Amino acid sequence: MNRRKFLGLGLGLGAAAMMLPSTLSAVNFRETKTSAFEGPKSHTIDDAMTELYGTSKTTVGKVKLKAPDIAENGAVVPIHVSSKLAGKTVSVFQDANPESLVAVFTVPANGLIDYKLRIKMAKTGTVTAVVQDGTTLFSASKMVKVTAGGCGG
Amino acid sequence: MAKKTRIKAKEKKGITTAKVMANHAMLSYDEAKRKKTEANFITSMIAKVDEEIVYEASTSQFLSKNPFVQFKFKGSNKGKMLTFTWVDKKGNTKTDKKKIK
Repeated sequence: MNRRKFLGLGLGLGAAAMMLPSTLSAVNFRETKTSAFEGPKSHTIDDAMTELYGTSKTTVGKVKLKAPDIAENGAVVPIHVSSKLAGKTVSVFQDANPESLVAVFTVPANGLIDYKLRIKMAKTGTVTAVVQDGTTLFSASKMVKVTAGGCGG
Repeated sequence: MAKKTRIKAKEKKGITTAKVMANHAMLSYDEAKRKKTEANFITSMIAKVDEEIVYEASTSQFLSKNPFVQFKFKGSNKGKMLTFTWVDKKGNTKTDKKKIK
Protein backbone atom coordinates (compact mmCIF):
# COMPACT_ATOMS: atom_id res chain seq x y z
CA MET A 1 0.00 0.00 0.00
CA ASN A 2 2.79 2.35 0.89
CA ARG A 3 4.55 1.73 -2.32
CA ARG A 4 1.37 2.41 -4.20
CA LYS A 5 0.92 5.70 -2.43
CA PHE A 6 4.49 6.64 -3.14
CA LEU A 7 4.12 6.00 -6.83
CA GLY A 8 0.91 7.93 -6.94
CA LEU A 9 2.59 10.88 -5.27
CA GLY A 10 5.38 10.79 -7.81
CA LEU A 11 2.91 10.89 -10.66
CA GLY A 12 1.10 13.79 -9.09
CA LEU A 13 4.29 15.76 -8.73
CA GLY A 14 5.24 15.06 -12.31
CA ALA A 15 1.89 16.31 -13.51
CA ALA A 16 2.27 19.46 -11.42
CA ALA A 17 5.67 20.10 -12.94
CA MET A 18 4.24 19.72 -16.44
CA MET A 19 1.54 22.24 -15.66
CA LEU A 20 4.02 24.90 -14.62
CA PRO A 21 4.89 26.58 -17.93
CA SER A 22 1.30 27.34 -18.81
CA THR A 23 0.49 28.89 -15.46
CA LEU A 24 3.65 30.96 -15.23
CA SER A 25 2.71 34.01 -17.15
CA ALA A 26 -0.33 36.17 -16.71
CA VAL A 27 -0.09 37.60 -20.20
CA ASN A 28 1.89 35.70 -22.76
CA PHE A 29 2.01 37.86 -25.84
CA ARG A 30 3.42 35.05 -27.90
CA GLU A 31 0.17 33.20 -27.46
CA THR A 32 -2.32 36.04 -27.52
CA LYS A 33 -0.62 38.06 -30.24
CA THR A 34 1.19 35.43 -32.25
CA SER A 35 0.69 37.34 -35.47
CA ALA A 36 2.78 40.22 -34.18
CA PHE A 37 5.72 37.90 -33.63
CA GLU A 38 5.54 35.63 -36.65
CA GLY A 39 3.86 35.51 -40.01
CA PRO A 40 3.16 37.96 -42.82
CA LYS A 41 2.15 40.79 -40.51
CA SER A 42 5.36 40.77 -38.50
CA HIS A 43 7.84 42.06 -41.05
CA THR A 44 7.55 45.80 -40.65
CA ILE A 45 7.39 47.82 -37.48
CA ASP A 46 4.07 49.39 -38.49
CA ASP A 47 2.40 46.08 -39.19
CA ALA A 48 3.67 44.40 -36.04
CA MET A 49 2.63 47.38 -33.96
CA THR A 50 -0.84 47.31 -35.45
CA GLU A 51 -1.09 43.62 -34.67
CA LEU A 52 -0.01 44.19 -31.11
CA TYR A 53 -1.82 47.37 -30.18
CA GLY A 54 -4.41 47.79 -32.90
CA THR A 55 -2.80 50.97 -34.14
CA SER A 56 0.60 52.12 -35.30
CA LYS A 57 0.05 55.76 -34.41
CA THR A 58 2.49 56.81 -31.74
CA THR A 59 3.40 60.01 -30.00
CA VAL A 60 7.11 60.61 -30.03
CA GLY A 61 8.52 61.49 -26.66
CA LYS A 62 8.40 60.67 -22.95
CA VAL A 63 10.33 57.53 -23.64
CA LYS A 64 14.08 57.28 -23.41
CA LEU A 65 15.87 54.86 -25.63
CA LYS A 66 19.56 54.32 -25.33
CA ALA A 67 21.34 52.39 -28.01
CA PRO A 68 24.78 52.66 -29.59
CA ASP A 69 25.22 54.77 -32.73
CA ILE A 70 27.44 52.14 -34.21
CA ALA A 71 27.32 48.54 -33.13
CA GLU A 72 30.50 46.74 -34.03
CA ASN A 73 28.92 43.42 -33.34
CA GLY A 74 25.35 43.02 -34.46
CA ALA A 75 24.97 39.90 -32.34
CA VAL A 76 25.04 41.98 -29.17
CA VAL A 77 23.38 45.38 -29.34
CA PRO A 78 22.68 46.78 -25.90
CA ILE A 79 19.36 48.58 -25.62
CA HIS A 80 18.12 50.58 -22.67
CA VAL A 81 14.50 51.68 -22.45
CA SER A 82 13.32 53.90 -19.65
CA SER A 83 10.35 56.11 -19.00
CA LYS A 84 8.60 57.88 -16.17
CA LEU A 85 5.20 56.98 -17.59
CA ALA A 86 2.96 54.62 -15.71
CA GLY A 87 2.66 52.44 -18.74
CA LYS A 88 1.14 49.00 -18.88
CA THR A 89 3.33 47.44 -21.50
CA VAL A 90 6.63 48.19 -23.13
CA SER A 91 7.69 46.76 -26.44
CA VAL A 92 10.83 46.88 -28.51
CA PHE A 93 10.88 46.74 -32.30
CA GLN A 94 13.61 46.91 -34.93
CA ASP A 95 13.58 46.73 -38.70
CA ALA A 96 16.87 44.94 -39.35
CA ASN A 97 15.63 41.39 -38.93
CA PRO A 98 13.02 39.39 -40.83
CA GLU A 99 10.52 39.93 -38.05
CA SER A 100 10.39 43.23 -36.28
CA LEU A 101 9.11 42.57 -32.79
CA VAL A 102 11.83 41.80 -30.26
CA ALA A 103 10.16 41.77 -26.89
CA VAL A 104 7.05 42.82 -25.04
CA PHE A 105 7.27 43.56 -21.34
CA THR A 106 4.30 43.66 -19.06
CA VAL A 107 4.91 46.23 -16.36
CA PRO A 108 3.79 44.83 -13.00
CA ALA A 109 2.37 46.95 -10.20
CA ASN A 110 5.75 47.52 -8.59
CA GLY A 111 7.75 47.56 -11.76
CA LEU A 112 9.58 50.56 -13.10
CA ILE A 113 10.05 51.16 -16.78
CA ASP A 114 13.75 50.73 -16.86
CA TYR A 115 14.72 47.79 -18.99
CA LYS A 116 18.02 46.81 -20.43
CA LEU A 117 18.41 44.04 -22.89
CA ARG A 118 20.71 42.88 -25.63
CA ILE A 119 19.41 42.17 -29.07
CA LYS A 120 20.63 40.81 -32.37
CA MET A 121 20.52 42.88 -35.54
CA ALA A 122 21.28 41.43 -38.93
CA LYS A 123 22.02 44.80 -40.49
CA THR A 124 21.75 48.52 -39.91
CA GLY A 125 18.27 49.44 -38.77
CA THR A 126 16.10 51.50 -36.53
CA VAL A 127 15.21 50.42 -33.03
CA THR A 128 11.87 51.61 -31.72
CA ALA A 129 10.66 51.41 -28.15
CA VAL A 130 6.98 51.82 -27.40
CA VAL A 131 5.34 52.43 -24.05
CA GLN A 132 1.61 51.95 -23.81
CA ASP A 133 0.02 54.35 -21.35
CA GLY A 134 -3.71 53.92 -21.34
CA THR A 135 -4.73 54.16 -24.97
CA THR A 136 -1.83 56.30 -26.05
CA LEU A 137 1.38 54.93 -27.41
CA PHE A 138 4.58 56.80 -26.73
CA SER A 139 7.63 55.92 -28.68
CA ALA A 140 11.28 56.63 -29.23
CA SER A 141 13.41 55.52 -32.14
CA LYS A 142 17.06 55.30 -32.78
CA MET A 143 19.13 54.32 -35.76
CA VAL A 144 21.81 51.76 -35.06
CA LYS A 145 24.54 51.18 -37.58
CA VAL A 146 25.71 47.62 -37.63
CA THR A 147 29.11 46.98 -39.10
CA ALA A 148 29.08 43.20 -38.70
CA GLY A 149 25.84 41.27 -38.95
CA GLY A 150 24.63 39.35 -35.96
CA CYS A 151 22.31 36.96 -37.69
CA GLY A 152 24.71 36.53 -40.61
CA GLY A 153 28.07 36.37 -38.89
CA MET B 1 20.87 20.65 -20.06
CA ALA B 2 20.96 24.35 -19.63
CA LYS B 3 23.38 25.92 -17.27
CA LYS B 4 22.37 27.99 -14.33
CA THR B 5 20.91 31.43 -14.86
CA ARG B 6 23.14 34.06 -13.39
CA ILE B 7 21.27 36.54 -11.25
CA LYS B 8 22.37 39.60 -9.36
CA ALA B 9 19.85 41.61 -7.40
CA LYS B 10 20.59 44.65 -5.33
CA GLU B 11 18.31 46.89 -3.33
CA LYS B 12 19.04 50.56 -2.88
CA LYS B 13 16.65 53.18 -1.54
CA GLY B 14 13.66 50.94 -2.07
CA ILE B 15 14.44 50.17 -5.66
CA THR B 16 15.75 46.78 -6.55
CA THR B 17 17.89 46.38 -9.61
CA ALA B 18 18.19 42.91 -10.99
CA LYS B 19 20.61 41.77 -13.62
CA VAL B 20 19.95 38.43 -15.15
CA MET B 21 21.90 36.45 -17.65
CA ALA B 22 20.19 33.36 -18.90
CA ASN B 23 22.19 30.61 -20.49
CA HIS B 24 20.59 29.87 -23.82
CA ALA B 25 21.79 29.55 -27.41
CA MET B 26 18.84 31.60 -28.75
CA LEU B 27 18.96 30.11 -32.23
CA SER B 28 16.87 32.18 -34.60
CA TYR B 29 15.28 30.56 -37.62
CA ASP B 30 18.03 31.80 -39.93
CA GLU B 31 20.85 30.68 -37.68
CA ALA B 32 19.23 27.32 -37.12
CA LYS B 33 18.89 26.77 -40.85
CA ARG B 34 22.57 27.42 -41.33
CA LYS B 35 23.48 25.05 -38.53
CA LYS B 36 20.90 22.54 -39.74
CA THR B 37 19.20 22.33 -36.39
CA GLU B 38 15.87 23.44 -35.09
CA ALA B 39 15.30 26.99 -34.00
CA ASN B 40 14.92 27.41 -30.31
CA PHE B 41 14.78 30.55 -28.24
CA ILE B 42 13.40 31.86 -25.00
CA THR B 43 9.82 32.93 -25.48
CA SER B 44 8.92 34.09 -22.05
CA MET B 45 10.72 35.30 -18.96
CA ILE B 46 9.26 35.96 -15.60
CA ALA B 47 10.65 37.11 -12.26
CA LYS B 48 8.92 36.90 -8.94
CA VAL B 49 9.51 37.98 -5.37
CA ASP B 50 7.29 36.15 -2.88
CA GLU B 51 4.91 34.99 -5.61
CA GLU B 52 4.48 38.57 -6.78
CA ILE B 53 5.42 39.18 -10.36
CA VAL B 54 8.06 41.87 -10.74
CA TYR B 55 9.12 41.27 -14.32
CA GLU B 56 7.39 39.72 -17.24
CA ALA B 57 8.49 39.57 -20.84
CA SER B 58 7.49 37.82 -24.03
CA THR B 59 10.55 37.66 -26.18
CA SER B 60 11.41 36.71 -29.72
CA GLN B 61 14.34 35.14 -31.50
CA PHE B 62 16.24 38.40 -31.72
CA LEU B 63 17.57 38.56 -28.23
CA SER B 64 21.28 37.93 -28.14
CA LYS B 65 22.79 34.59 -27.33
CA ASN B 66 22.82 34.08 -23.58
CA PRO B 67 20.39 36.95 -23.16
CA PHE B 68 21.11 39.56 -20.57
CA VAL B 69 18.34 41.66 -19.11
CA GLN B 70 18.23 44.27 -16.43
CA PHE B 71 15.12 45.52 -14.72
CA LYS B 72 14.10 47.55 -11.70
CA PHE B 73 11.22 47.33 -9.31
CA LYS B 74 9.98 48.83 -6.08
CA GLY B 75 8.56 47.37 -2.90
CA SER B 76 11.06 44.74 -2.03
CA ASN B 77 13.77 44.47 0.55
CA LYS B 78 17.04 42.80 1.19
CA GLY B 79 17.02 39.14 1.98
CA LYS B 80 13.99 38.29 -0.10
CA MET B 81 14.24 35.68 -2.77
CA LEU B 82 14.09 36.63 -6.42
CA THR B 83 12.94 33.78 -8.60
CA PHE B 84 13.62 33.94 -12.30
CA THR B 85 12.09 31.55 -14.77
CA TRP B 86 12.33 31.28 -18.52
CA VAL B 87 10.49 29.10 -20.97
CA ASP B 88 11.77 28.38 -24.44
CA LYS B 89 10.12 27.41 -27.68
CA LYS B 90 10.53 23.71 -27.06
CA GLY B 91 8.89 24.03 -23.67
CA ASN B 92 12.06 23.72 -21.66
CA THR B 93 12.01 25.76 -18.54
CA LYS B 94 14.57 26.80 -16.00
CA THR B 95 14.10 28.44 -12.66
CA ASP B 96 16.77 29.94 -10.50
CA LYS B 97 16.72 31.82 -7.24
CA LYS B 98 18.85 34.49 -5.72
CA LYS B 99 18.65 36.53 -2.56
CA ILE B 100 18.29 40.27 -2.95
CA LYS B 101 21.30 42.00 -1.50
